[in-house]
Amino acid sequence: MATAFLQIHSKPSRISTLTISYFLFAAGIAAYFYTAAQRHRDNPEERVTPTLQQMAQGFYDAALKPAEEDADLADNATLSQRIFGSMLWKDTKATSRRFALSMLLLLPAVILGMHMGLFPYVGVFFLRFVLFFDKIVALSLLPILFIAFGIDELSKIMLIVIGVTPTIILDAFNLTKGVPPEQVVKAFTLGANDFDVAYRVVLKQIWPRVLNSIRLNLKAVMLFLFAGEMIASTDGLAYRIALLRRHMGMDVIIPYVLWVALLLFLVDLAMRMANRWLHPWFREA
Amino acid sequence: MTLIRIDNVSIAYGNPPRTVLDEIDLHIDEGEFICLVGQTGCGKSTLLRLVLGSEQPSQGRVLIDGREHKRPDSTRGYVPQKYSLFPDKTVLDNITFGCEVSEFGLLGLLTPRYYQRRAEFRAQAYGYLRRIGLTESDAKKYPDQLSGGMQQRVAIAQALMTKPRILLMDEAFSALDPGTRKGMQRLIRQLWRDTGTTVLFVTHNMHEALFLGTRVIVLAKETPEHGSRVALDLAVPEHCGDEEAALLTHRLESISEGSAEMEAATPAIS
Repeated sequence: MATAFLQIHSKPSRISTLTISYFLFAAGIAAYFYTAAQRHRDNPEERVTPTLQQMAQGFYDAALKPAEEDADLADNATLSQRIFGSMLWKDTKATSRRFALSMLLLLPAVILGMHMGLFPYVGVFFLRFVLFFDKIVALSLLPILFIAFGIDELSKIMLIVIGVTPTIILDAFNLTKGVPPEQVVKAFTLGANDFDVAYRVVLKQIWPRVLNSIRLNLKAVMLFLFAGEMIASTDGLAYRIALLRRHMGMDVIIPYVLWVALLLFLVDLAMRMANRWLHPWFREA
Repeated sequence: MTLIRIDNVSIAYGNPPRTVLDEIDLHIDEGEFICLVGQTGCGKSTLLRLVLGSEQPSQGRVLIDGREHKRPDSTRGYVPQKYSLFPDKTVLDNITFGCEVSEFGLLGLLTPRYYQRRAEFRAQAYGYLRRIGLTESDAKKYPDQLSGGMQQRVAIAQALMTKPRILLMDEAFSALDPGTRKGMQRLIRQLWRDTGTTVLFVTHNMHEALFLGTRVIVLAKETPEHGSRVALDLAVPEHCGDEEAALLTHRLESISEGSAEMEAATPAIS
Protein backbone atom coordinates (compact mmCIF):
# COMPACT_ATOMS: atom_id res chain seq x y z
CA MET A 1 0.00 0.00 0.00
CA ALA A 2 2.71 2.41 1.03
CA THR A 3 4.60 1.75 -2.19
CA ALA A 4 1.49 1.96 -4.35
CA PHE A 5 0.60 5.41 -2.95
CA LEU A 6 1.10 8.26 -5.45
CA GLN A 7 1.61 5.97 -8.40
CA ILE A 8 -0.30 6.07 -11.67
CA HIS A 9 -1.58 2.59 -10.99
CA SER A 10 -2.73 3.17 -7.45
CA LYS A 11 -6.45 2.66 -6.80
CA PRO A 12 -7.83 4.73 -3.94
CA SER A 13 -10.47 2.84 -1.94
CA ARG A 14 -13.93 4.30 -1.39
CA ILE A 15 -13.11 5.44 2.10
CA SER A 16 -9.83 7.09 1.18
CA THR A 17 -11.49 8.77 -1.83
CA LEU A 18 -14.10 10.23 0.47
CA THR A 19 -11.68 11.45 3.10
CA ILE A 20 -8.99 12.68 0.73
CA SER A 21 -11.37 14.59 -1.53
CA TYR A 22 -12.80 16.55 1.42
CA PHE A 23 -9.44 17.27 2.96
CA LEU A 24 -8.95 20.66 1.29
CA PHE A 25 -12.45 21.77 2.30
CA ALA A 26 -11.74 20.91 5.91
CA ALA A 27 -8.28 22.49 5.81
CA GLY A 28 -9.64 25.69 4.26
CA ILE A 29 -12.44 26.02 6.81
CA ALA A 30 -10.09 25.25 9.69
CA ALA A 31 -7.49 27.77 8.47
CA TYR A 32 -10.18 30.45 8.18
CA PHE A 33 -11.60 30.00 11.63
CA TYR A 34 -8.15 29.74 13.19
CA THR A 35 -7.19 33.06 11.58
CA ALA A 36 -10.53 34.58 12.54
CA ALA A 37 -10.20 33.51 16.16
CA GLN A 38 -6.67 34.85 16.34
CA ARG A 39 -7.57 38.22 14.84
CA HIS A 40 -10.56 38.57 17.15
CA ARG A 41 -8.32 37.89 20.15
CA ASP A 42 -6.01 40.70 19.03
CA ASN A 43 -8.81 43.09 18.16
CA PRO A 44 -12.41 42.48 19.32
CA GLU A 45 -13.69 45.03 16.76
CA GLU A 46 -12.21 43.02 13.86
CA ARG A 47 -14.44 43.13 10.72
CA VAL A 48 -12.41 41.45 7.96
CA THR A 49 -12.75 37.88 9.25
CA PRO A 50 -16.16 37.51 10.91
CA THR A 51 -16.73 34.56 13.21
CA LEU A 52 -19.27 31.84 12.51
CA GLN A 53 -21.82 33.49 14.80
CA GLN A 54 -21.41 36.84 13.07
CA MET A 55 -21.84 35.26 9.64
CA ALA A 56 -24.87 33.27 10.80
CA GLN A 57 -26.37 36.47 12.20
CA GLY A 58 -25.53 38.30 8.97
CA PHE A 59 -27.11 35.63 6.81
CA TYR A 60 -30.13 35.41 9.10
CA ASP A 61 -30.64 39.16 8.80
CA ALA A 62 -30.16 39.06 5.05
CA ALA A 63 -32.62 36.23 4.60
CA LEU A 64 -35.35 37.52 6.94
CA LYS A 65 -35.01 41.29 7.05
CA PRO A 66 -35.59 43.84 4.31
CA ALA A 67 -32.68 45.70 2.75
CA GLU A 68 -31.57 48.99 4.27
CA GLU A 69 -33.04 50.98 1.43
CA ASP A 70 -36.47 49.34 1.89
CA ALA A 71 -39.12 50.03 4.51
CA ASP A 72 -39.14 47.80 7.59
CA LEU A 73 -41.73 45.05 7.79
CA ALA A 74 -44.47 45.09 10.38
CA ASP A 75 -43.54 43.28 13.59
CA ASN A 76 -46.31 40.68 13.15
CA ALA A 77 -45.25 39.67 9.58
CA THR A 78 -45.39 35.94 8.88
CA LEU A 79 -42.29 33.91 8.01
CA SER A 80 -43.07 33.80 4.30
CA GLN A 81 -43.70 37.55 4.31
CA ARG A 82 -40.33 37.96 5.96
CA ILE A 83 -38.55 35.73 3.46
CA PHE A 84 -40.13 37.30 0.38
CA GLY A 85 -39.56 40.77 1.76
CA SER A 86 -35.96 40.09 2.64
CA MET A 87 -32.80 41.54 1.18
CA LEU A 88 -31.49 38.15 0.07
CA TRP A 89 -34.71 37.33 -1.75
CA LYS A 90 -34.82 40.73 -3.44
CA ASP A 91 -31.21 40.48 -4.63
CA THR A 92 -31.49 36.85 -5.73
CA LYS A 93 -34.65 37.63 -7.67
CA ALA A 94 -33.06 40.58 -9.49
CA THR A 95 -29.93 38.64 -10.40
CA SER A 96 -31.89 35.54 -11.44
CA ARG A 97 -34.06 37.60 -13.74
CA ARG A 98 -31.06 39.01 -15.57
CA PHE A 99 -29.43 35.59 -15.63
CA ALA A 100 -32.53 33.92 -17.11
CA LEU A 101 -32.90 36.64 -19.74
CA SER A 102 -29.31 36.25 -20.84
CA MET A 103 -29.66 32.48 -21.00
CA LEU A 104 -32.68 32.93 -23.26
CA LEU A 105 -30.64 35.18 -25.52
CA LEU A 106 -28.07 32.40 -25.92
CA LEU A 107 -30.66 30.37 -27.82
CA PRO A 108 -30.51 32.49 -31.01
CA ALA A 109 -26.72 32.22 -30.75
CA VAL A 110 -26.95 28.43 -30.92
CA ILE A 111 -29.32 28.60 -33.90
CA LEU A 112 -27.02 31.05 -35.68
CA GLY A 113 -23.93 28.92 -35.05
CA MET A 114 -25.75 25.84 -36.36
CA HIS A 115 -26.76 27.67 -39.53
CA MET A 116 -23.22 28.94 -39.99
CA GLY A 117 -21.87 25.43 -39.78
CA LEU A 118 -24.45 23.96 -42.13
CA PHE A 119 -25.08 26.61 -44.79
CA PRO A 120 -21.83 27.69 -46.47
CA TYR A 121 -23.06 31.17 -47.38
CA VAL A 122 -24.30 31.90 -43.87
CA GLY A 123 -20.93 30.70 -42.61
CA VAL A 124 -19.01 32.90 -45.01
CA PHE A 125 -21.19 35.88 -44.12
CA PHE A 126 -20.78 35.66 -40.34
CA LEU A 127 -17.66 33.67 -39.49
CA ARG A 128 -14.94 36.31 -39.88
CA PHE A 129 -17.01 38.90 -38.10
CA VAL A 130 -17.85 36.64 -35.17
CA LEU A 131 -14.20 35.57 -34.87
CA PHE A 132 -13.23 39.23 -34.71
CA PHE A 133 -16.03 40.07 -32.31
CA ASP A 134 -14.99 37.21 -30.07
CA LYS A 135 -11.62 38.88 -29.50
CA ILE A 136 -13.12 42.15 -28.25
CA VAL A 137 -12.86 42.35 -24.48
CA ALA A 138 -16.51 42.81 -23.58
CA LEU A 139 -15.79 44.78 -20.41
CA SER A 140 -13.89 47.35 -22.42
CA LEU A 141 -17.16 48.07 -24.21
CA LEU A 142 -18.95 48.85 -20.96
CA PRO A 143 -18.72 52.66 -21.25
CA ILE A 144 -20.06 52.46 -24.78
CA LEU A 145 -22.87 50.16 -23.64
CA PHE A 146 -23.87 52.56 -20.90
CA ILE A 147 -24.05 55.35 -23.44
CA ALA A 148 -25.85 53.29 -26.06
CA PHE A 149 -28.31 51.37 -23.86
CA GLY A 150 -28.50 53.49 -20.72
CA ILE A 151 -27.41 52.35 -17.29
CA ASP A 152 -30.40 50.14 -16.53
CA GLU A 153 -31.21 46.53 -17.36
CA LEU A 154 -30.56 46.53 -21.07
CA SER A 155 -26.90 47.48 -20.87
CA LYS A 156 -26.23 44.71 -18.36
CA ILE A 157 -27.96 42.10 -20.50
CA MET A 158 -26.10 43.38 -23.55
CA LEU A 159 -22.80 43.04 -21.72
CA ILE A 160 -23.50 39.37 -21.11
CA VAL A 161 -24.73 38.87 -24.65
CA ILE A 162 -21.67 40.51 -26.15
CA GLY A 163 -19.34 38.71 -23.80
CA VAL A 164 -20.72 35.19 -24.12
CA THR A 165 -22.61 34.82 -27.40
CA PRO A 166 -19.55 34.80 -29.71
CA THR A 167 -18.20 31.81 -27.77
CA ILE A 168 -21.53 30.01 -27.97
CA ILE A 169 -21.91 30.83 -31.69
CA LEU A 170 -18.43 29.48 -32.44
CA ASP A 171 -19.04 26.43 -30.27
CA ALA A 172 -22.29 25.61 -32.03
CA PHE A 173 -20.54 26.22 -35.34
CA ASN A 174 -17.74 23.79 -34.50
CA LEU A 175 -20.15 21.19 -33.15
CA THR A 176 -22.16 21.43 -36.36
CA LYS A 177 -19.00 21.01 -38.41
CA GLY A 178 -18.30 17.92 -36.32
CA VAL A 179 -21.49 16.17 -37.44
CA PRO A 180 -20.37 13.51 -39.94
CA PRO A 181 -21.26 14.51 -43.53
CA GLU A 182 -22.73 11.02 -43.96
CA GLN A 183 -25.56 12.04 -41.65
CA VAL A 184 -26.52 15.00 -43.80
CA VAL A 185 -26.30 12.99 -47.03
CA LYS A 186 -28.28 10.18 -45.48
CA ALA A 187 -31.04 12.57 -44.43
CA PHE A 188 -31.24 13.98 -47.96
CA THR A 189 -31.50 10.50 -49.46
CA LEU A 190 -34.39 9.83 -47.09
CA GLY A 191 -36.29 12.77 -48.53
CA ALA A 192 -35.41 15.53 -46.06
CA ASN A 193 -35.07 19.14 -47.19
CA ASP A 194 -32.54 21.69 -45.91
CA PHE A 195 -34.82 22.75 -43.09
CA ASP A 196 -35.39 19.17 -41.94
CA VAL A 197 -31.66 18.47 -42.00
CA ALA A 198 -30.96 21.57 -39.91
CA TYR A 199 -33.64 21.15 -37.27
CA ARG A 200 -34.49 17.44 -37.23
CA VAL A 201 -31.06 15.94 -37.75
CA VAL A 202 -28.22 18.33 -36.94
CA LEU A 203 -29.70 20.50 -34.18
CA LYS A 204 -31.04 17.46 -32.32
CA GLN A 205 -27.62 15.83 -32.49
CA ILE A 206 -25.57 18.77 -31.30
CA TRP A 207 -28.03 19.87 -28.61
CA PRO A 208 -26.57 17.86 -25.68
CA ARG A 209 -23.08 19.10 -26.52
CA VAL A 210 -24.38 22.65 -26.83
CA LEU A 211 -25.93 22.32 -23.37
CA ASN A 212 -22.58 21.17 -22.02
CA SER A 213 -20.89 24.09 -23.67
CA ILE A 214 -23.40 26.48 -22.09
CA ARG A 215 -22.71 24.82 -18.75
CA LEU A 216 -19.01 25.55 -19.19
CA ASN A 217 -19.86 29.15 -19.99
CA LEU A 218 -22.12 29.67 -16.96
CA LYS A 219 -19.12 31.07 -15.17
CA ALA A 220 -18.58 33.65 -17.91
CA VAL A 221 -22.26 34.62 -17.86
CA MET A 222 -22.07 35.21 -14.11
CA LEU A 223 -18.81 37.10 -14.45
CA PHE A 224 -20.28 39.61 -16.88
CA LEU A 225 -23.51 39.80 -14.91
CA PHE A 226 -21.61 40.61 -11.71
CA ALA A 227 -19.41 43.15 -13.44
CA GLY A 228 -22.50 44.94 -14.73
CA GLU A 229 -24.27 44.79 -11.36
CA MET A 230 -21.26 46.01 -9.41
CA ILE A 231 -20.74 49.01 -11.64
CA ALA A 232 -24.27 50.20 -12.23
CA SER A 233 -27.22 48.73 -10.41
CA THR A 234 -29.60 49.29 -7.53
CA ASP A 235 -30.22 45.66 -6.68
CA GLY A 236 -28.80 42.20 -7.28
CA LEU A 237 -26.37 39.95 -5.43
CA ALA A 238 -23.26 41.61 -6.84
CA TYR A 239 -24.64 45.08 -6.14
CA ARG A 240 -25.07 44.09 -2.48
CA ILE A 241 -21.56 42.69 -2.28
CA ALA A 242 -20.12 45.88 -3.78
CA LEU A 243 -22.25 48.02 -1.46
CA LEU A 244 -21.36 46.11 1.71
CA ARG A 245 -17.69 46.19 0.80
CA ARG A 246 -17.75 49.93 1.45
CA HIS A 247 -18.46 49.39 5.15
CA MET A 248 -16.62 46.09 5.46
CA GLY A 249 -19.77 43.98 5.80
CA MET A 250 -17.83 40.75 5.53
CA ASP A 251 -20.38 38.98 7.76
CA VAL A 252 -22.84 39.27 4.85
CA ILE A 253 -20.40 39.20 1.95
CA ILE A 254 -18.99 35.77 2.76
CA PRO A 255 -22.42 34.09 3.06
CA TYR A 256 -23.41 35.86 -0.18
CA VAL A 257 -20.38 34.48 -2.01
CA LEU A 258 -21.22 30.98 -0.82
CA TRP A 259 -24.89 31.50 -1.71
CA VAL A 260 -23.96 32.50 -5.29
CA ALA A 261 -21.68 29.48 -5.60
CA LEU A 262 -24.48 27.23 -4.36
CA LEU A 263 -26.99 28.72 -6.81
CA LEU A 264 -24.60 28.32 -9.72
CA PHE A 265 -23.85 24.76 -8.68
CA LEU A 266 -27.58 24.01 -8.60
CA VAL A 267 -28.15 25.53 -12.05
CA ASP A 268 -25.29 23.46 -13.41
CA LEU A 269 -26.61 20.33 -11.74
CA ALA A 270 -30.12 20.94 -13.08
CA MET A 271 -28.75 21.37 -16.60
CA ARG A 272 -26.70 18.21 -16.30
CA MET A 273 -29.69 16.21 -15.07
CA ALA A 274 -31.92 17.68 -17.78
CA ASN A 275 -29.32 16.81 -20.38
CA ARG A 276 -29.18 13.21 -19.23
CA TRP A 277 -32.93 12.94 -19.00
CA LEU A 278 -33.66 14.57 -22.37
CA HIS A 279 -30.90 12.81 -24.28
CA PRO A 280 -30.65 9.23 -23.03
CA TRP A 281 -28.73 8.34 -26.20
CA PHE A 282 -25.93 10.77 -25.45
CA ARG A 283 -22.70 9.33 -24.05
CA GLU A 284 -20.25 11.87 -22.81
CA ALA A 285 -16.95 11.30 -24.55
CA MET B 1 -33.47 -0.26 -69.63
CA THR B 2 -30.61 2.01 -68.65
CA LEU B 3 -31.23 3.55 -65.25
CA ILE B 4 -27.85 5.09 -64.48
CA ARG B 5 -25.75 6.50 -67.29
CA ILE B 6 -22.25 7.60 -66.44
CA ASP B 7 -21.28 9.59 -69.47
CA ASN B 8 -17.59 10.25 -70.04
CA VAL B 9 -17.06 11.33 -66.43
CA SER B 10 -13.75 12.66 -65.12
CA ILE B 11 -13.01 14.20 -61.75
CA ALA B 12 -9.88 15.89 -60.47
CA TYR B 13 -8.97 17.13 -57.01
CA GLY B 14 -6.47 19.47 -55.50
CA ASN B 15 -4.04 22.03 -56.78
CA PRO B 16 -2.39 21.18 -59.13
CA PRO B 17 -5.36 19.01 -60.13
CA ARG B 18 -4.81 15.29 -59.80
CA THR B 19 -7.16 13.19 -61.87
CA VAL B 20 -8.91 10.51 -59.84
CA LEU B 21 -11.38 9.22 -62.40
CA ASP B 22 -10.58 9.46 -66.09
CA GLU B 23 -13.34 9.30 -68.71
CA ILE B 24 -15.52 6.69 -67.10
CA ASP B 25 -18.35 5.46 -69.33
CA LEU B 26 -20.90 3.09 -67.83
CA HIS B 27 -24.49 2.07 -68.39
CA ILE B 28 -26.30 0.43 -65.54
CA ASP B 29 -29.64 -1.25 -66.08
CA GLU B 30 -32.55 -1.33 -63.69
CA GLY B 31 -32.36 -4.30 -61.32
CA GLU B 32 -28.65 -4.94 -61.65
CA PHE B 33 -26.45 -5.61 -58.63
CA ILE B 34 -23.22 -3.81 -59.46
CA CYS B 35 -20.10 -4.28 -57.38
CA LEU B 36 -17.45 -1.62 -57.79
CA VAL B 37 -14.04 -2.90 -56.78
CA GLY B 38 -10.50 -1.59 -56.83
CA GLN B 39 -7.61 -0.77 -54.59
CA THR B 40 -7.61 1.93 -51.94
CA GLY B 41 -7.54 5.33 -53.59
CA CYS B 42 -8.72 4.14 -57.00
CA GLY B 43 -11.78 6.37 -56.79
CA LYS B 44 -14.51 3.77 -56.37
CA SER B 45 -16.09 5.70 -53.52
CA THR B 46 -15.75 8.89 -55.54
CA LEU B 47 -17.70 7.28 -58.37
CA LEU B 48 -20.38 6.28 -55.87
CA ARG B 49 -20.56 9.85 -54.55
CA LEU B 50 -20.96 11.11 -58.11
CA VAL B 51 -23.99 8.88 -58.53
CA LEU B 52 -25.17 9.98 -55.11
CA GLY B 53 -24.91 13.63 -56.18
CA SER B 54 -22.85 14.74 -53.20
CA GLU B 55 -19.99 15.48 -55.62
CA GLN B 56 -20.03 16.86 -59.14
CA PRO B 57 -17.83 15.64 -61.99
CA SER B 58 -15.20 17.98 -63.46
CA GLN B 59 -16.22 16.71 -66.88
CA GLY B 60 -19.07 14.59 -68.21
CA ARG B 61 -22.49 13.88 -66.76
CA VAL B 62 -24.18 11.38 -64.50
CA LEU B 63 -27.75 10.74 -65.62
CA ILE B 64 -30.28 8.93 -63.51
CA ASP B 65 -33.31 7.92 -65.47
CA GLY B 66 -32.28 10.49 -68.08
CA ARG B 67 -31.95 13.39 -65.62
CA GLU B 68 -29.00 14.98 -63.88
CA HIS B 69 -29.32 15.14 -60.06
CA LYS B 70 -27.11 17.79 -58.58
CA ARG B 71 -27.70 16.78 -54.97
CA PRO B 72 -28.65 13.69 -52.98
CA ASP B 73 -32.37 12.98 -52.95
CA SER B 74 -34.81 10.18 -52.29
CA THR B 75 -34.31 8.42 -55.64
CA ARG B 76 -31.07 7.01 -54.29
CA GLY B 77 -30.79 5.35 -50.90
CA TYR B 78 -27.42 5.42 -49.14
CA VAL B 79 -25.70 3.12 -46.66
CA PRO B 80 -22.20 4.33 -45.71
CA GLN B 81 -19.65 2.33 -43.74
CA LYS B 82 -19.93 4.49 -40.62
CA TYR B 83 -22.37 7.01 -39.16
CA SER B 84 -25.18 5.39 -41.08
CA LEU B 85 -27.78 5.84 -38.33
CA PHE B 86 -28.95 8.93 -36.48
CA PRO B 87 -27.56 8.49 -32.96
CA ASP B 88 -30.35 10.53 -31.34
CA LYS B 89 -33.18 8.36 -32.67
CA THR B 90 -34.27 4.91 -31.60
CA VAL B 91 -34.06 2.03 -34.05
CA LEU B 92 -37.75 2.39 -34.85
CA ASP B 93 -37.55 6.15 -35.33
CA ASN B 94 -34.48 5.70 -37.51
CA ILE B 95 -36.37 3.33 -39.78
CA THR B 96 -39.47 5.49 -40.03
CA PHE B 97 -37.55 8.78 -40.35
CA GLY B 98 -37.49 8.68 -44.15
CA CYS B 99 -41.24 8.26 -44.47
CA GLU B 100 -41.97 10.86 -41.80
CA VAL B 101 -39.65 13.47 -43.20
CA SER B 102 -40.83 13.06 -46.79
CA GLU B 103 -44.49 13.43 -45.86
CA PHE B 104 -44.41 15.86 -42.94
CA GLY B 105 -42.47 19.07 -42.50
CA LEU B 106 -41.67 20.39 -39.03
CA LEU B 107 -45.12 22.00 -38.74
CA GLY B 108 -46.75 18.86 -40.08
CA LEU B 109 -45.63 17.10 -36.91
CA LEU B 110 -48.29 19.05 -35.05
CA THR B 111 -51.21 17.78 -37.10
CA PRO B 112 -53.31 14.81 -35.93
CA ARG B 113 -52.83 13.13 -39.31
CA TYR B 114 -49.16 12.73 -38.48
CA TYR B 115 -49.91 10.42 -35.56
CA GLN B 116 -52.24 8.37 -37.69
CA ARG B 117 -49.61 7.99 -40.44
CA ARG B 118 -46.87 7.35 -37.91
CA ALA B 119 -48.73 4.30 -36.65
CA GLU B 120 -48.79 2.98 -40.23
CA PHE B 121 -45.10 3.72 -40.74
CA ARG B 122 -44.31 1.93 -37.51
CA ALA B 123 -46.26 -1.14 -38.51
CA GLN B 124 -44.30 -1.18 -41.76
CA ALA B 125 -41.04 -0.64 -39.86
CA TYR B 126 -41.76 -3.64 -37.61
CA GLY B 127 -42.16 -5.68 -40.78
CA TYR B 128 -38.70 -4.62 -41.95
CA LEU B 129 -37.30 -5.17 -38.47
CA ARG B 130 -38.33 -8.82 -38.60
CA ARG B 131 -36.98 -9.22 -42.12
CA ILE B 132 -33.55 -7.96 -41.14
CA GLY B 133 -33.52 -10.33 -38.20
CA LEU B 134 -34.04 -7.97 -35.26
CA THR B 135 -36.59 -8.51 -32.52
CA GLU B 136 -39.30 -6.09 -31.46
CA SER B 137 -37.43 -5.39 -28.24
CA ASP B 138 -34.59 -3.90 -30.31
CA ALA B 139 -36.96 -1.23 -31.66
CA LYS B 140 -36.59 1.00 -28.61
CA LYS B 141 -32.79 0.78 -28.48
CA TYR B 142 -30.47 3.55 -29.60
CA PRO B 143 -27.90 2.81 -32.33
CA ASP B 144 -24.90 2.70 -30.02
CA GLN B 145 -26.57 -0.06 -28.01
CA LEU B 146 -26.40 -2.27 -31.11
CA SER B 147 -23.45 -4.16 -32.56
CA GLY B 148 -21.90 -2.94 -35.81
CA GLY B 149 -23.67 -5.62 -37.83
CA MET B 150 -27.05 -4.81 -36.29
CA GLN B 151 -26.52 -1.12 -37.01
CA GLN B 152 -25.88 -1.83 -40.67
CA ARG B 153 -28.98 -4.04 -40.82
CA VAL B 154 -31.06 -1.17 -39.46
CA ALA B 155 -29.37 1.24 -41.89
CA ILE B 156 -30.39 -0.98 -44.81
CA ALA B 157 -33.98 -1.15 -43.55
CA GLN B 158 -33.96 2.62 -43.07
CA ALA B 159 -32.80 3.15 -46.65
CA LEU B 160 -35.30 0.67 -48.11
CA MET B 161 -38.32 2.12 -46.25
CA THR B 162 -38.61 5.00 -48.71
CA LYS B 163 -38.38 2.52 -51.62
CA PRO B 164 -35.54 4.13 -53.54
CA ARG B 165 -34.93 2.86 -57.09
CA ILE B 166 -31.20 2.79 -56.44
CA LEU B 167 -29.38 1.71 -53.30
CA LEU B 168 -25.81 2.93 -52.91
CA MET B 169 -23.64 1.09 -50.41
CA ASP B 170 -20.16 2.35 -49.64
CA GLU B 171 -18.02 -0.35 -47.99
CA ALA B 172 -21.14 -1.05 -45.97
CA PHE B 173 -19.87 -4.36 -44.55
CA SER B 174 -16.15 -3.59 -44.42
CA ALA B 175 -16.03 -2.86 -40.70
CA LEU B 176 -17.78 -6.11 -39.76
CA ASP B 177 -16.25 -9.38 -38.63
CA PRO B 178 -16.27 -12.24 -41.19
CA GLY B 179 -19.15 -14.19 -39.63
CA THR B 180 -21.45 -11.17 -39.41
CA ARG B 181 -20.38 -10.16 -42.88
CA LYS B 182 -21.53 -13.46 -44.41
CA GLY B 183 -24.96 -13.03 -42.86
CA MET B 184 -25.21 -9.48 -44.12
CA GLN B 185 -24.26 -10.55 -47.63
CA ARG B 186 -27.02 -13.15 -47.68
CA LEU B 187 -29.47 -10.56 -46.32
CA ILE B 188 -28.72 -7.93 -48.94
CA ARG B 189 -28.91 -10.55 -51.73
CA GLN B 190 -32.31 -11.58 -50.43
CA LEU B 191 -33.58 -8.02 -50.13
CA TRP B 192 -32.28 -7.21 -53.59
CA ARG B 193 -34.20 -10.18 -55.06
CA ASP B 194 -37.38 -9.24 -53.19
CA THR B 195 -37.39 -5.53 -53.93
CA GLY B 196 -35.82 -5.38 -57.37
CA THR B 197 -33.83 -2.33 -56.33
CA THR B 198 -30.75 -1.51 -58.39
CA VAL B 199 -27.74 -1.81 -56.08
CA LEU B 200 -24.37 -0.15 -56.47
CA PHE B 201 -22.03 -1.72 -53.93
CA VAL B 202 -18.50 -0.47 -53.33
CA THR B 203 -16.06 -2.92 -51.76
CA HIS B 204 -12.37 -3.75 -51.83
CA ASN B 205 -13.06 -7.41 -51.20
CA MET B 206 -13.12 -9.34 -54.54
CA HIS B 207 -14.68 -12.38 -52.95
CA GLU B 208 -17.56 -10.32 -51.62
CA ALA B 209 -17.99 -8.64 -55.00
CA LEU B 210 -18.23 -11.98 -56.81
CA PHE B 211 -20.64 -13.42 -54.27
CA LEU B 212 -22.97 -10.42 -54.32
CA GLY B 213 -22.87 -8.87 -57.74
CA THR B 214 -24.49 -9.70 -61.03
CA ARG B 215 -21.80 -7.53 -62.53
CA VAL B 216 -18.38 -6.58 -61.19
CA ILE B 217 -16.62 -3.43 -62.34
CA VAL B 218 -12.91 -3.09 -61.58
CA LEU B 219 -11.43 0.39 -61.44
CA ALA B 220 -7.65 0.66 -61.81
CA LYS B 221 -4.98 3.13 -62.80
CA GLU B 222 -2.97 2.36 -65.91
CA THR B 223 -0.06 4.42 -64.63
CA PRO B 224 0.31 6.17 -61.27
CA GLU B 225 -0.07 9.64 -62.87
CA HIS B 226 -3.34 8.86 -64.63
CA GLY B 227 -6.79 8.63 -63.15
CA SER B 228 -8.59 5.32 -62.81
CA ARG B 229 -10.47 3.79 -65.70
CA VAL B 230 -12.71 0.80 -65.99
CA ALA B 231 -10.18 -2.03 -66.15
CA LEU B 232 -12.74 -4.80 -66.33
CA ASP B 233 -16.50 -5.01 -66.65
CA LEU B 234 -17.49 -8.56 -65.85
CA ALA B 235 -20.91 -10.16 -65.91
CA VAL B 236 -20.79 -12.68 -63.08
CA PRO B 237 -21.83 -16.17 -64.23
CA GLU B 238 -25.12 -17.31 -62.72
CA HIS B 239 -23.78 -20.47 -61.14
CA CYS B 240 -20.22 -20.03 -60.16
CA GLY B 241 -18.44 -23.07 -58.67
CA ASP B 242 -15.84 -22.74 -55.94
CA GLU B 243 -12.96 -23.39 -58.28
CA GLU B 244 -14.20 -20.92 -60.87
CA ALA B 245 -14.82 -18.34 -58.17
CA ALA B 246 -11.29 -18.73 -56.86
CA LEU B 247 -9.89 -18.27 -60.36
CA LEU B 248 -12.07 -15.20 -60.96
CA THR B 249 -11.08 -13.70 -57.63
CA HIS B 250 -7.44 -14.15 -58.55
CA ARG B 251 -8.01 -12.59 -61.96
CA LEU B 252 -9.84 -9.59 -60.50
CA GLU B 253 -7.09 -9.07 -57.95
CA SER B 254 -4.36 -9.06 -60.58
CA ILE B 255 -6.28 -6.63 -62.76
CA SER B 256 -6.96 -4.25 -59.90
CA GLU B 257 -3.30 -4.35 -58.86
CA GLY B 258 -2.40 -3.21 -62.36
CA SER B 259 -0.86 -5.07 -65.30
CA ALA B 260 2.61 -3.60 -64.75
CA GLU B 261 2.97 -5.22 -61.36
CA MET B 262 1.56 -8.47 -62.65
CA GLU B 263 4.19 -8.76 -65.35
CA ALA B 264 6.89 -8.11 -62.81
CA ALA B 265 5.47 -10.73 -60.48
CA THR B 266 4.93 -13.49 -63.02
CA PRO B 267 8.57 -14.54 -63.66
CA ALA B 268 9.25 -14.75 -59.97
CA ILE B 269 6.50 -17.36 -59.60
CA SER B 270 7.56 -19.51 -62.56
